[in-house]
Amino acid sequence: MRREAVVAENLKKRYVTKKRRGILRGEKEVVEALKGISFKIYSGEVVGLLGPNGAGKTTTVKIIATLLIPDGGDAWVYGYHVVREANTVRKHLGVLLSVEKGFYGKLTGRENLEYFGLLYGLKREELKKRIDYLMKLLELDKLGAVDRLFEEYSLGMKARLGLARALLRDPPLLLLDEPTLGLDPPSARKIRELVKDLAHKEGKAILYTTHNMFEAEIVCDRIILINKGRIVAEGTPEQLKSLIPAIRTINMVVKGSDNIDTILKSLSINSYKVERTNGLYHIKINTLKPEELLGELLKKLMSNGYETISLKIEEPTLEDVFIYFAEKGG
Amino acid sequence: MSLWNMILAEAKFVYADLFRRKSTLVMIIAYPYILTLFVVLLGYAMGSRQVFIERTGAPPEIFFITAGFLLISILGVSDDLLWRPNFELWMGTLQYVLISPLPRIYRYIAIPFPRLLIVILIGATSIVPVYMYYYGLGGLVEGAAVILLALISGLFFTTPIMVLMGIIYGISGESWRIINIVRPLLMILLGAYYPRYLMPLMGRIVSYLIPSSHIVEVIQLMIIEKLDVLYALSLIGIATALFILYAPIGIKSINYWETKKLREGIR
Repeated sequence: MRREAVVAENLKKRYVTKKRRGILRGEKEVVEALKGISFKIYSGEVVGLLGPNGAGKTTTVKIIATLLIPDGGDAWVYGYHVVREANTVRKHLGVLLSVEKGFYGKLTGRENLEYFGLLYGLKREELKKRIDYLMKLLELDKLGAVDRLFEEYSLGMKARLGLARALLRDPPLLLLDEPTLGLDPPSARKIRELVKDLAHKEGKAILYTTHNMFEAEIVCDRIILINKGRIVAEGTPEQLKSLIPAIRTINMVVKGSDNIDTILKSLSINSYKVERTNGLYHIKINTLKPEELLGELLKKLMSNGYETISLKIEEPTLEDVFIYFAEKGG
Repeated sequence: MSLWNMILAEAKFVYADLFRRKSTLVMIIAYPYILTLFVVLLGYAMGSRQVFIERTGAPPEIFFITAGFLLISILGVSDDLLWRPNFELWMGTLQYVLISPLPRIYRYIAIPFPRLLIVILIGATSIVPVYMYYYGLGGLVEGAAVILLALISGLFFTTPIMVLMGIIYGISGESWRIINIVRPLLMILLGAYYPRYLMPLMGRIVSYLIPSSHIVEVIQLMIIEKLDVLYALSLIGIATALFILYAPIGIKSINYWETKKLREGIR
């Protein structure tokens, strides 16, 4: 049976900010970042937390990380309450909150890890071994970053070091807030592969926030879509795609005479686009039921002497799901 | 063991922050000399050396090199505590520090210790050579005593600074401007370059509430050769009592700030 790593129940958070009105006057403004969200994360899975800017992703991550006290609701990490048992929770998690910052510039990568390792209560001998292991795992040794000052690091190196710190205590839960933001493709790929391995091979539970739909689709086993402080959809990438009105696109290339518009209209197809190049017709049709339509269409085309060169039905992407729910406004 | 590990971690940090920034290290070492040169030259331009000795009981060079050493030592130690939350916030490390499962107090105890090594270094480059130049070999002993007292003074400043930190950060957020206002006041109230007995009554009262200022007074009595052992011990006793008194208030104060920060969120 899978173990519950994170249980969040009805989490609420409001931020009070001051809006300036002139030099001396100011008005308090309340922003509801979370309006009662509930979810679970199990060991051995990567759960993606997706949503537009200001949706409440980082707020959620920070509450689970014991870095933010919620105004309402509860959350537990491996059965420990994130507010009442914050110190015990901290022993069970590793956090990466910002790729760019979060280390001391005048310390080398190794010294930074040593500093935080000691701060996290690791014994010196154990820490040294762990750092060596992580430097190899994240290929920081290959990049020559181990004994280089952090202020001289590239963004890719910083992200890898951030992940190394999150893994210092070998925690069963990882909270990664946009860990590949701004990274070059090789670094981003390295981190994605590692995240998947950590969950699937080592059984870690991982909460992963990202804006990158492609990344979410390949990294996450399950996705929670969040918008304006509420969960709007949850499931595997495939399940999420099936949630939106299933408009598919039929892409086909045919060869034949000049009455393609008549044929399409005779089948009551209204949403389509036809382009003619080198005697070939490139047809794009948007439809809710591509399978039903395709049979009729092919039959009609054949009877009118058309030859089908290629045919493809395009499924909606996770990006379509994201945009759909973002536009729907939660 | 965790406390020892924390001290080691802080030692790494001090090493990186000070020894890798050579210009900072040079300035710290030069500070007592710069202050002495500036004040003594200004003093010679405006008044007489003899009058200064009559008023204070010590040659101006000795008085100001001691004052410069005490200020850079005590404030150097306390600054690291006072500025630390702001520094962590700028570096983006505050959230990673706050999720440490170690008791918070360990960290605040650990921060000043490695800085005390810097106090010894500054003492060895300022106090010892100048004292030896003026007093011969006896100056070495006196210099060592001043360094030892400066170490105690630096350490004693930590608990009131913790109280201040919680109040400043808790009320005004991470405002470096407020710290910039508080810091010069602390410099004066320590009594290092403006002896306590010359302060107005209000200043003297506040100065008495700072444990380190009592140790500074002991040092000043020592350099003007008016040290009464019983009086000195009573001053050290008061300083120790105040240091202990502020400790639980300091912890509560820092807890207040951290809890407030966890409610507001760290940006």
